Amino acid sequence: MTALQHEETGPARAFSRGAKAALLVLAVGITCRLLGAQFDWLVGWPDALTVPMTDWVGAAVGWFLSVFKPMARAFSQLLSYPMEWVGAALRSAPWPLVVGAVTAIGWLIGGFRLAALGFIGLGFVVISGYWIEGMNTLALVTVSVPLAVFLGMAIGILAFEVPRLKGAVNGLLDVMQTVPAFAYLTPLIVLFGFGPVVGLIASAIYAAPPMARNVLLGLERVDEEIREAAVMSGGTRRQQLFLIEIPAASQQIMVGFNQCLMAALSMVIIAAVIGGFEDIGWEVLLTMRKAQFGPAFLAGSVIVVFAVVIDRLSAALAEQRVAQSKRVALAIFAVGAAVALWSVLANWNPSGVAMLDGLAETVDTGVGTFTANNGAALDAVKNTSMFYGLLPLRIGLADAVLPFTWGFKWTAAHSMGFFAIVAVISGVLALRGQVTAGAVVAIAALFLEIGVAQAPWPLVVIGAAALGWVSRGWSLVRLVVILLGLILLSGLWERALLSLYLSGASVAACAVVGGALGFLSATSTRVWAVVRPFCDMLQTIPMFVFLIPVLMFFQIGEFSAFLAICMYAVVPMIRYTRQGLISTPEDMIEAATASGAGKWQTMIEVRAPYAAPTILLGLNQTILYAFAMLVIAALIGTTGLGQSIYLALGQADVGLGVTAGAAMAILALVADRLVQGFADKRRKALGL
Amino acid sequence: MTKKNSTAPAIAVEDLWQVFGENAASVLRDAREAGDDHAVAETLKGKNLIPAVRAANFEVKSGELFVIMGLSGSGKSTLIRCISRLIEPTAGSVHIDGEDILKASEKRLIDLRRNKLGMVFQHFGLFPHMTVADNVGFPLKMQGAGKAERRKRAFEVLDLVGLTGREDAYPRNLSGGQRQRVGIARSLAVNPDIWFLDEPFSALDPLIRRQLQDEFLNIQATLKKSIVFITHDIQEALKLADRIAIMRDGEVVQIGTPEDIVLRPVDDYVREFTRDVPKGRHACVESVMLDQVPEAMPDDPKLRVGMTLSTALEKCMDLYEPVPVWDAAGNMVGAVHPAELAAALHVDDGTGTDGE
Repeated sequence: MTALQHEETGPARAFSRGAKAALLVLAVGITCRLLGAQFDWLVGWPDALTVPMTDWVGAAVGWFLSVFKPMARAFSQLLSYPMEWVGAALRSAPWPLVVGAVTAIGWLIGGFRLAALGFIGLGFVVISGYWIEGMNTLALVTVSVPLAVFLGMAIGILAFEVPRLKGAVNGLLDVMQTVPAFAYLTPLIVLFGFGPVVGLIASAIYAAPPMARNVLLGLERVDEEIREAAVMSGGTRRQQLFLIEIPAASQQIMVGFNQCLMAALSMVIIAAVIGGFEDIGWEVLLTMRKAQFGPAFLAGSVIVVFAVVIDRLSAALAEQRVAQSKRVALAIFAVGAAVALWSVLANWNPSGVAMLDGLAETVDTGVGTFTANNGAALDAVKNTSMFYGLLPLRIGLADAVLPFTWGFKWTAAHSMGFFAIVAVISGVLALRGQVTAGAVVAIAALFLEIGVAQAPWPLVVIGAAALGWVSRGWSLVRLVVILLGLILLSGLWERALLSLYLSGASVAACAVVGGALGFLSATSTRVWAVVRPFCDMLQTIPMFVFLIPVLMFFQIGEFSAFLAICMYAVVPMIRYTRQGLISTPEDMIEAATASGAGKWQTMIEVRAPYAAPTILLGLNQTILYAFAMLVIAALIGTTGLGQSIYLALGQADVGLGVTAGAAMAILALVADRLVQGFADKRRKALGL
Repeated sequence: MTKKNSTAPAIAVEDLWQVFGENAASVLRDAREAGDDHAVAETLKGKNLIPAVRAANFEVKSGELFVIMGLSGSGKSTLIRCISRLIEPTAGSVHIDGEDILKASEKRLIDLRRNKLGMVFQHFGLFPHMTVADNVGFPLKMQGAGKAERRKRAFEVLDLVGLTGREDAYPRNLSGGQRQRVGIARSLAVNPDIWFLDEPFSALDPLIRRQLQDEFLNIQATLKKSIVFITHDIQEALKLADRIAIMRDGEVVQIGTPEDIVLRPVDDYVREFTRDVPKGRHACVESVMLDQVPEAMPDDPKLRVGMTLSTALEKCMDLYEPVPVWDAAGNMVGAVHPAELAAALHVDDGTGTDGE
């Protein structure tokens, strides 16, 4: 675009693409704000123009599912056998045998360190008293992961072998990963009936995409000469693939295996909401509902322990390892078996151990005392954030400012004053040549005054389209308008706005906090040494567990949901910001230093611009994480699409479940494409 | 199956084109209806296609070491991949021992690669998950050889390249020079007739490179393969080649012996390459022999056929009259003028004899 290169000072005033887009959006916003009172259809999408999409989808999907139902039921029956066998085996195996086996595997993979991790981790599960529940969860994972691996390998190899399919497969994987976890469950319940097999299948579907992506990536990254060497050795295509390319890609594939395991575990625990299987996720849900925070905390810890053990063991598989003595592993296992034999003879029941009940009680009473003593402070935190942050964002200053909280009532006069100040600021910015910045400030002010959840639909749609136009061009505009149009037509718009508001608020908080932490981690290794373990931990913990601590201190409600989302979604922002800032090429830093730049000057002038695309990718990840968690957070009280999906699950309402899930996926996809567009543009501008 | 034609050259490349881009084949066909090869290339570029190899024509004789030299981007790697059919050429033909391999079926191609062709890669192309012995034995595995047989043969070729004792190491544990020895051993495992080497020594540091070049010449002296060798290094080309093809922008600009290239460059581009080459070391006295043997030659420094210019010049530093050149049997085959010997050595100082 040549307009980008034009000076903005000339009399011709050739505005940049960004400025044009921002001014257009501002004009639309002002129009809507001024005429909204007279014309309702400028604010809310008229009901007359919605179509009963949920019913249609319900009927269509219902019909589709009914066709496959007999097959699915048979398949479900088939799957229930291995699941019962594995479950029965794990449950009835004496716990020392299982602990010994895991410790021995830990030794084989990573020597003493991982053996100790396996032993301590499983030991904790034993004394927690949740052994049986833990084994049930493990059984689900054990059966679902091979399915997911097989599915992922097949998809990855197919996409690699048939390049024409690659685009379609990548699109499918995008959708599979953006459709919220809960949304899978409703159609699956209809298809397979209630019961643990649904959790199993949902987890296999949910865990397959990371596997497929990494298989594809690994195969694509195999060195061209290695490929050619296999060809010149006279291998058939199948020999090339299975003897050379897949083994050569094994490290990347193991990364996929690790992600696949973690996704499967996460989903198995989420699937506990269906119930019917005495697993650890169900235990957490049950205790949370009864507000028994001690047991919930303990059961949550068991999940975290499982996650950490599984993650570290499988992550080590993707690294280069020194071979460990098999004899030691065998010896460890033998000790486990001997103790197992003894425990069977002594009739020791692991579920009877429960040495940590005392701990659970202590936590319970501790939290109770803490909240009782600091109730006022906690409430103050919550209320301040709600009344001065979240609420105005949701319903706008005009509605949120009340005498009860702010000490005065927002009137039309206040609005006038507010807009006058904004107009001055924007005007000054515009006069100094920063037209885009001025317009953006004005648009932000408009949103704040009206409230995101009450934003007029033309403003949102045209705003998103304008971002698409600036970041990529007309193709993205088309995609954004069509996708958002679908939500409008479906009648889920208001709920979508509510979801948009909560995830937007969380993403904004994550961007600020995560960006700052990432920045500090990049400047100081000491800060990173502290932040890093937290990041590792937060990324390992299954989504579900985030609900426990926020619930302990802030009860059910939007603020708790907000906190849980932030905790889950902040990590990519921290990591990518740091990564971007520290990965500036050494010669650029040296050139800056040689030019006499100080540490901060280098940071602002060289590192930050270079890091911009990476930081944008981090923001993108944070957005996707926030949307994913939003649905889980529906369990502890959010409104919007997440709640709809959750309700649909309870009523096995396929239409609502699928439509709301799709709407959620649309929001995530649109956000993803917009941010990716900007990241690509920055990368291109930097010549990367 | 085609019959083996013993009189046919080992490799015959005729009018070979490789054009990258959409609908390359049909655009090329249309473009060739009108105009010579240069015009065709311009037409292709005008349509955003990339003519990576243009109308390449050459033959490699049996047992010949044929070097293709050019700068990066000149199309030499593309050319060798067309000949080995790692990529499909857009037009033209490649005959190996008389068989048109561009028409070979997938099955026949696999068969050829299993038995007849070997290839060495610039960055070695070793399989990271296999030991040295397994890497070398892999082509044999494709042939269907048993494990013991593979291991035995792998030890033999590893011995040939001087890697005995490292059979069970993994590629990541080897130095660059050792890795390329493995690459060479692997390409020789099935004892191929045709040997492709794609810049095999370019990724190595100079000392190791020289050492491997010498060993490579020794191996070739005993094995007598028909070789296509790619390099961007003129010194390497002159040192190794029986004949050299120089490429520029996808075009073969000159084919000739090292001596031809050094003493009779066809254009400034080739001359520029050989500017820093010590000419005396690559050309022989025959190349500057007089048309007519003078009747009387007072001096005889005992010049012999095959003597390099610099050696010959050393022997007649003080002489100003033509001197005779003798063959191995002691017969006089001609005469050279010492002044022309000296002139040939300074060909690019502007005093050259080739009429700059």
